[in-house]
Amino acid sequence: MATQTLHFHDRVDTALHDETLKTALERATTRFVGNRAGAIDALEDADGLRRQARALRANALSKLDELLARLADQVEARGGKVCWAADGEAARRYIVELARDRGVKSIVKSKSMASEEIHLNHALEHAGFEVVETDLGEYIIQLAGETPSHIIAPAIHKTREQVSALFEKHLGMTPTTEVPPMIRAARTALRQRFLQADMGISGVNFGVAEEGAIAIVENEGNARLSTTVPRIHVAIMGIERIVERFDDLAVMLQVLARSATGQKLSVYTSIISGPARPDEADGPEEFHLVLLDNGRSRILGGQYVESLMCIRCGACLNACPVYQAIGGHAYGGVYSGPIGAILTPLLQPDLPDAYLLPQASSLCGACQEVCPVGIAIPDMLLRLRADAVKAGKAHPVETAGIKSYALMMKNPLVYRAGGRAARLGSRLIGRKGRIRHLPPPLHLWTHGRDFPQPQGSQSFSEWWEERQKKGRTQ
Amino acid sequence: MSREQMLATLRTSLASNRAWLEAEAHKAPHTPPPFVLPPADDLAAQFAAELTKLEGRVYQVADHEEALETVATLLEERKATTAVAWDRAQIGLPGLDKLLAERGVQVLDPVVRDEARKAQLQVLEPAPVCLSGADFAIAESGSLVLYHGPGRPRLASLLAPTHIAVITSDQLVRGLGEAMARLRERYAGRLFDVTSNLTLISGPSRTADIEMTLSLGIHGPPELHVVLVQTP
Repeated sequence: MATQTLHFHDRVDTALHDETLKTALERATTRFVGNRAGAIDALEDADGLRRQARALRANALSKLDELLARLADQVEARGGKVCWAADGEAARRYIVELARDRGVKSIVKSKSMASEEIHLNHALEHAGFEVVETDLGEYIIQLAGETPSHIIAPAIHKTREQVSALFEKHLGMTPTTEVPPMIRAARTALRQRFLQADMGISGVNFGVAEEGAIAIVENEGNARLSTTVPRIHVAIMGIERIVERFDDLAVMLQVLARSATGQKLSVYTSIISGPARPDEADGPEEFHLVLLDNGRSRILGGQYVESLMCIRCGACLNACPVYQAIGGHAYGGVYSGPIGAILTPLLQPDLPDAYLLPQASSLCGACQEVCPVGIAIPDMLLRLRADAVKAGKAHPVETAGIKSYALMMKNPLVYRAGGRAARLGSRLIGRKGRIRHLPPPLHLWTHGRDFPQPQGSQSFSEWWEERQKKGRTQ
Repeated sequence: MSREQMLATLRTSLASNRAWLEAEAHKAPHTPPPFVLPPADDLAAQFAAELTKLEGRVYQVADHEEALETVATLLEERKATTAVAWDRAQIGLPGLDKLLAERGVQVLDPVVRDEARKAQLQVLEPAPVCLSGADFAIAESGSLVLYHGPGRPRLASLLAPTHIAVITSDQLVRGLGEAMARLRERYAGRLFDVTSNLTLISGPSRTADIEMTLSLGIHGPPELHVVLVQTP
């Protein structure tokens, strides 16, 4: 959590100077990008499947009120309980009170972005419950007291040596540089946590309105254990994460797995409808579904509604040159990368520098290109920048800069003089063909960015004039 | 906030974007394709190839007798004396009960409920083998589709380090869309009246959370063995 007390630019700075992070990010994003491309290219009709996925998300959002009501009715009819949580506080209160009322001592959790969004662990620990993250990556960063750096691979910033040291300290493992003994140590330690737990908390990848079910995808089996072994299962679902029919899952599960990790399907998909029936041997005796709004209904009525189509695959993170360089922590919010730069200012507007996140993009469009539901991310980032300026949040230097730019563009003499000065200046400060540091106040722009030194000795207009003259003499 | 308040807020918000969302929803058909890859002629071979890529093992056998021999070998190799299993009638391999009895493999009581929950979990935990059937096998992704319900405990495909699943070749489908359609047919839309849980399994439990290094068996079974019986 320490990173969040720093300013956005300082977090970026820290990330850019972290060599371990740089190596880890490169390894992870390169692998994910390659795997995704392979899995999408193999499809008989990749574009058709993507258009279907988008249509299904739009369909669900267009009748969100009706679908949520159906989902809730079905869950309740099968003996489950539904909590309608308008905000994080309501969700936290419901879960904490439930745990207290049922005499819960220990809780196992499988990965849930919604629970991180509402800082559920903190609330549960504060109330005296023992909470264990069971996804291996989440478990590692919980032991380290850190936050996820990647939506799919939360602990990519940790080296095997760091993991070994953590397991030595917390699990009594003999130090090693081999991964398999670390896996065995974590399996053994976490298995007993599962068997002792009174409550399992999971996220939801897709709610299914028609069948009154939820779908959870994972590769490790920790979500299956969390939703099977403890006597109480609590599932937290952002209200937008719904599809209308069971059949819709046949599209969504495939685009999710292929976009996230390049798998055809995740190793485990659990489709759950309520608590275990009386004639079933195992499964939870209680099932609670927390439907979390927390700002989503506001987004639904505004110009960023498309961001609610997101299925949290992480493809836009991996494809983004900015994310590849700075990683997830620098964004400061729960959601990182291009979609995080949209969701964080909208879902966590209280974060003081959330409005800066849309600047962390070169608007290259790689994110929209890989998005399995074709969200117009660059367009929304631009609009969010405009919103920030309108709200008076632009930096004074930037505002002054834009004003002088406007003046220059309206006056040819000033424009030419300015161009000459900039060319001369760039020659003086460029190093090895790149400009990394501009003098104040322009240093604000090169802080965390560089750009190629302009080549050639002439400006375009000088070159053009000369060419025209030559043309005339020839 | 109550259900009605939250739904009312949503309705108000939707008023401004509903038309646009509906237009987007109509831009593509909603029915999923039965499969997404170019289909193969031999579904059994495709299934075996795909699951093998995922580090699962597939044994294509000609009949029940050969299937029983395969299961016997797997139990023998693991020196299994206990197992967590589906009811043998649900697995659909005649002679399995007799085989387990002959080999001295005790099928543990899978009922994990109420007061005895934690104690019984500790009884099941040391079992070296899980035994289950499946409803469908998806050829293009190497996946098993199994619904859990009476006689089909969830832990019988999850708890032990080895999961052995027995399926027949007539359970093979080309893709996930086809599996969903077949499920709907079989249960006439009432699937979740019978069961509270449907699980797709595509290979053994895996993680790449430490330095992107692929490792098997972090939580679920590190070994998945599928005995695929040819039906006439």
